[in-house]
Amino acid sequence: MTETPKRITLGEWDRRYERLQRAGLSEPDYGGPLGRHVEDGDQRLLKLRYDNSTAALRLWNFLLTEEDRLHAARAAGNKIVGTMKDLGTIPVMAYSFDDVVAFYPDGAWWIPCVMELGAGLLDIADSLGIDESFCPVRAMLGAFVTEAHFPVPDILICSVGATCDDFSAIAQRLNGLGYPIFWWEIPHRRRPEPNETTVNLPGGFLAPKCQVEYVKSELERIQTVLEECAGLPLDEAKLSAGIKQANQVRRTLAELRFLAFTAEPCPIPVLEMLIAEMLAIHFCSDRRETIEVLNALLEEVKARVRAGTGILDAGAVKIFWINPVADLQVMNLLEDCGGRICGTEYLFSHALDEIPEDLPPLEALAQMALADPMVGSSTDRAERICSDISRFGAEAVLISRIPGASHCALEGQIIGEIIREKCDVPVLEIEIPPVTDSIRPTVRTRLEALVETVKARPRAQRKQRRNQ
Amino acid sequence: MIYAGIDAGSRAIKIVLMDADKLEIVGKGITDQGVEQDKLASELFDRVLKYGGVKRQDVATIVATGYGRNAVSFADTTITEITCHAVGVHHLVPEAMTVVDIGGQDSKLIRLDAFGRVRDFAMNDRCAAGTGRFLEVVAQRLDVELESLGSMAARCRHPAAISSMCVVFAETEIIGLLVSGTAREDIVAGVQAAIAKRIIAMAGRNVELPIIFTGGVAMITGMDAALETALGKSVTISPDPQMTGALGAAILASNRKLKT
Repeated sequence: MTETPKRITLGEWDRRYERLQRAGLSEPDYGGPLGRHVEDGDQRLLKLRYDNSTAALRLWNFLLTEEDRLHAARAAGNKIVGTMKDLGTIPVMAYSFDDVVAFYPDGAWWIPCVMELGAGLLDIADSLGIDESFCPVRAMLGAFVTEAHFPVPDILICSVGATCDDFSAIAQRLNGLGYPIFWWEIPHRRRPEPNETTVNLPGGFLAPKCQVEYVKSELERIQTVLEECAGLPLDEAKLSAGIKQANQVRRTLAELRFLAFTAEPCPIPVLEMLIAEMLAIHFCSDRRETIEVLNALLEEVKARVRAGTGILDAGAVKIFWINPVADLQVMNLLEDCGGRICGTEYLFSHALDEIPEDLPPLEALAQMALADPMVGSSTDRAERICSDISRFGAEAVLISRIPGASHCALEGQIIGEIIREKCDVPVLEIEIPPVTDSIRPTVRTRLEALVETVKARPRAQRKQRRNQ
Repeated sequence: MIYAGIDAGSRAIKIVLMDADKLEIVGKGITDQGVEQDKLASELFDRVLKYGGVKRQDVATIVATGYGRNAVSFADTTITEITCHAVGVHHLVPEAMTVVDIGGQDSKLIRLDAFGRVRDFAMNDRCAAGTGRFLEVVAQRLDVELESLGSMAARCRHPAAISSMCVVFAETEIIGLLVSGTAREDIVAGVQAAIAKRIIAMAGRNVELPIIFTGGVAMITGMDAALETALGKSVTISPDPQMTGALGAAILASNRKLKT
């Protein structure tokens, strides 16, 4: 275990890095001091607080060198698949080939935050008619135009149908700019009619068999284009092996999440957990290394739990977080205000569930795709969230809205009301733009008030909920 | 022992001094907010102390709340306005279950439990349409004093429909209404209704009675009626609505005894 766990600044990390290096720190080839990433323009890193473990250092370096890996893949002649919107399914297929890497251009939505709007990606999107009434994922358009962040993929695959309207519009604009997209349809998940065969999906949702079959047929189309792109067939054995690897990531994350959300004191900061969870969907362009990075993080957390140490005082208010934030600094703020993470739903909870290994692989993946919380009703999504709130013993819920995101317009209120009714915990809804500096005091007030609200509750009531 | 609550709001600073032994307010005051928030709060604090016949060293604990709470350097601690308004309202109206607070910059709806603790709350997000700022804009546009808006609204015959959820666009609508000859009284009443609708949107379905209305906007005639119409439920203006947050802060100061 790394010395006393705590959250430190970038400057503190770099000084610590020097000490670790003198002591013989062993790192993968993408290792190095975190401060070097600021030289690439990632100014926001200077304002964040980081976990001080070497496992966290590895996680951050892994994340912040993804562009290098993509360029290296291109240079090595490997195929690059840009997968958009499905959040977790298509990469499992792509990584089943040996010489294919997949990534989400959607991930560019964090560039405006990390570079503090310095890259001008949103301005480019504006100039293309995709203004701030759209989700910040519109930054992806700018990233394609400048080609300064990732190589243009060999193929782009995007799901439409039961996905956000704004994302579809952004992807269509991209297609119109001369980046051809292979479209596939994900239908809105519905409950089966009485005369239909019901399929129990991972995550507890239900769907009619005909919908699973439809999605499977769409995945067969995707398989064909992936095979054409890779120049190789993708047989069941390879796909099954790919599923097993993905499940290894998911199992590690499940263990990590459980400890992170339930151990007292909190063993790992919310920001590192956000990044770790995101690995489930994109593998940061290296699935094998993802497993190593997560294993290292899990070992660190286990060691902290065994030692009874953590990064926050015991008794920090346990907060369940819904939706990813456009500004990473807000995750730090939660902890600054006396909160800790206790459950998350970042729009891809289906990618955290294990993929059935006892089914034909494409059918299993079709079930996973249909279990996406975003392709069903807000009520379905809320039901799963309520179940996790009880499982982890969360004392309050924070719903962060994404400005311009069409799915955020109403679902927050629907989900919030269901949670209030079923779980009797306070629910706070806040909107988080890519850079929150100007609204930081108001965001802070809301978070502090949420923490105060929970702390004012009778001790016995808190104890009962936390120990659920 | 004397305890002080300072509510450093976006438009005004309010201070309450409370004698915790007698559960009495021994001094209170208000001044406009400005750039030098700490200085303004300190000057007001001195005036309130003098008025109440209290020396600074006799004040055991000072709690600051409100938008500018972190700027009050002489406070012992800070507590958010959500908690302070809840405590202040519960002190004045113990049976209160819902607090609607509309201030100059934001608005909030606070749900209380039977013991006056915050059960849940909602605040407006980034838009001034549900706040006192909306009324200020209207007063400027109509070239009338803010204080006279209430009496104007009372003379309304047909409230104008203001459809925008944004103050900037609503201002454009108001210009259009003026050009089309709509009575200023009807415009003011329309704006009050629009603010009330924003509060309802925040409130969701469950708003329990009694509902207590606080904040500077509660002092503008007709706003309570606009809220009642929008909510379909009766709304009671808190005694001394502008001071509720400061009162709650003073009570919390006495509860915490945080002298540092």
